[in-house]
Amino acid sequence: MSCPHAIEGLTPKPLLRLRAHPLRIALVGNPNVGKSVIFGRLTGRYVTVSNYPGTTVAVTRGRATVGAEVCDIVDTPGVNMLEGALSEDEKVTRDLVASGKAELIVQVADARNLRRALMLTSQIAAFGRPTILVLNMIDEARARGVDIDTAGLAAELGIPVIEAVATEGRGLAELREALTEAAPLDGGIATGVTHLQWADEMAHRFRTIGPMSLGRFQEWLGRAVREPLTGLPILILVLYLTYLAVGVLGAQTLVGLLEDGLFGTWLNPWARSLAAHIPVAFVRDFLVGDYGLVTMGMTYAIAIVLPVVTTFFLVFGILEDSGYIPRLAIFSDRIFRAMGLNGKAVLPMVLGLGCDTMATMTTRILATPKERLIAILLLALGVPCSAQLATIMGILGGVSFWALLTLFGVVVFQMIFVGFLAARLLPGDRSDFIMELPPMRLPRLGNLATKTGLRVRWYLGEALPLFLVGTALLFALDRVGGLAVIAQATRPVVSGLLGLPPKAAEVFVMGFLRRDYGAAGMFLMARDGALTHVQAVVALTVMTLFVPCVANFLMIVKERGLRVGLAILGFVTVMAVGTGAVLNGVLGFFHVAF
Amino acid sequence: MWPSEGVHQLSALRAGSRGRIVRVQRDLTPRAERLAALGVGPGARITVLQTFPGIVIECDQTELALERVVGSAIWIAVE
Repeated sequence: MSCPHAIEGLTPKPLLRLRAHPLRIALVGNPNVGKSVIFGRLTGRYVTVSNYPGTTVAVTRGRATVGAEVCDIVDTPGVNMLEGALSEDEKVTRDLVASGKAELIVQVADARNLRRALMLTSQIAAFGRPTILVLNMIDEARARGVDIDTAGLAAELGIPVIEAVATEGRGLAELREALTEAAPLDGGIATGVTHLQWADEMAHRFRTIGPMSLGRFQEWLGRAVREPLTGLPILILVLYLTYLAVGVLGAQTLVGLLEDGLFGTWLNPWARSLAAHIPVAFVRDFLVGDYGLVTMGMTYAIAIVLPVVTTFFLVFGILEDSGYIPRLAIFSDRIFRAMGLNGKAVLPMVLGLGCDTMATMTTRILATPKERLIAILLLALGVPCSAQLATIMGILGGVSFWALLTLFGVVVFQMIFVGFLAARLLPGDRSDFIMELPPMRLPRLGNLATKTGLRVRWYLGEALPLFLVGTALLFALDRVGGLAVIAQATRPVVSGLLGLPPKAAEVFVMGFLRRDYGAAGMFLMARDGALTHVQAVVALTVMTLFVPCVANFLMIVKERGLRVGLAILGFVTVMAVGTGAVLNGVLGFFHVAF
Repeated sequence: MWPSEGVHQLSALRAGSRGRIVRVQRDLTPRAERLAALGVGPGARITVLQTFPGIVIECDQTELALERVVGSAIWIAVE
């Protein structure tokens, strides 16, 4: 590798200049080129890294020390263009670059795809900021037979061009050094021709493509997962393995170990015997009673939900990093089109299985406001989050396969039905399905471990307090007789329409706080024999379709405003109860017992 | 619509076909613009990898999935 700045390095230019604030450096580039990896390497801050376009949908800031100077580094959502019709995540980046908040631009490029990167370079040039081009994943490009004349390109563009393999830290030292050499691109580099023509010519001059030496298996796998004949069996296999990991290992084996073992045998009896020394019955009950912080709140959060989300996040991380999820878009495009979306919507929908709140934010990758609204509505309505999904599997897996199928059948039908209506009733258009498929890759263990660890920590940080608050609330309601009032007031709906025991009303109240908290309550009711099989199916269907949790609701309000949030809340509640009532009626009419 | 010999809509090509893009039809939507941003514009060489359930092409070392309508707006000089 030759670096044009290596010679100039003999007379080092000081980066230290008088400035009122730290130098602001923005990492800009096409989607899925590794901006977040470089951000992590420069700042030491981890932001989620995956193998699909759209992992980053908001800017992240961090500090890095370069030489003697502290710099502000900004990680941005990937963009294919900076002008024209942009999606909301692309606008975030364009606004940042245009606002002057990025004083220096580090364009990160996938070396495989120099032409497309240069198209973006020619648009970055228009902003006249000092720029550096990083050709990332140079190893993968070489394996595909792509060879780039880096020195020639650097000389032509007049800016430093760095070769890098960011996941291994290669090229990062060169990048730090080159920060002093960044120069503005010639704003007129693409005058008289289109960006595409200019990029075409540049790529032609500085890139040669030789024979490919890509691993045969990798190539075969990439093809096998997208072709229907092999792709559909693979999809079924993936779903089944996910079920084994989350539904069996997580929801049954690990939950059993933690709930019966750790909490049932050790912690709860120990907490009770300790609490027996507390003279005030009120405090004692608050800690270890029926609605006790330890016996209920902690048990739910740690023993029932934690094992499930951990196994789910792990499997999910593998799927994310392998590049598999975007390929599902090919199969689902037709169905999503009927719902006013396109195949790209598979990303937020599948992410919703992890956490609906995060997925609501990811809808930014969708191109039109109508698509975003429909996707947010469907996420709130039907997509169960990881914890909920596993409690569903935990309860209904023990009932029968048909029970599980009935629930998912009803939920999927409702989503398609609502999507179909929304596509026709809401104003606006859907956009074309045009999507990049990232290469299939073997997930890196380090990233997988970091990502899963952070997500579990995030779950504990977010869910545990809410579980405890929820438990305290239930305790208070129970004390003042509020639970009885709620049970009485909702009896016509809960018992009359849905055919559930009155205690189920409590569980729905818990579901308002977090859906998984409610689902965990349901889990215990089912296990204690308080629900018949039909009741379990009806209750879980209603809970799945039921209102989004507080966090998801707040995210909807943040993304789409209070009016839309309340409208979705109202609609989803009516829809859930209505569906449950019909399901209860139909199951009763046909005497289905599962 | 396009009279010259050997030029076809992408949506009409079979898997395994190779060619060069000669034209991307423009309409009122940002379709052509989005395609261009992905490197799919006149002059680009493509290979059709798959046609069902959606079209998958390779352009510039990258796989792209497209729906049929988009494919019918792209005209290819088949090699």
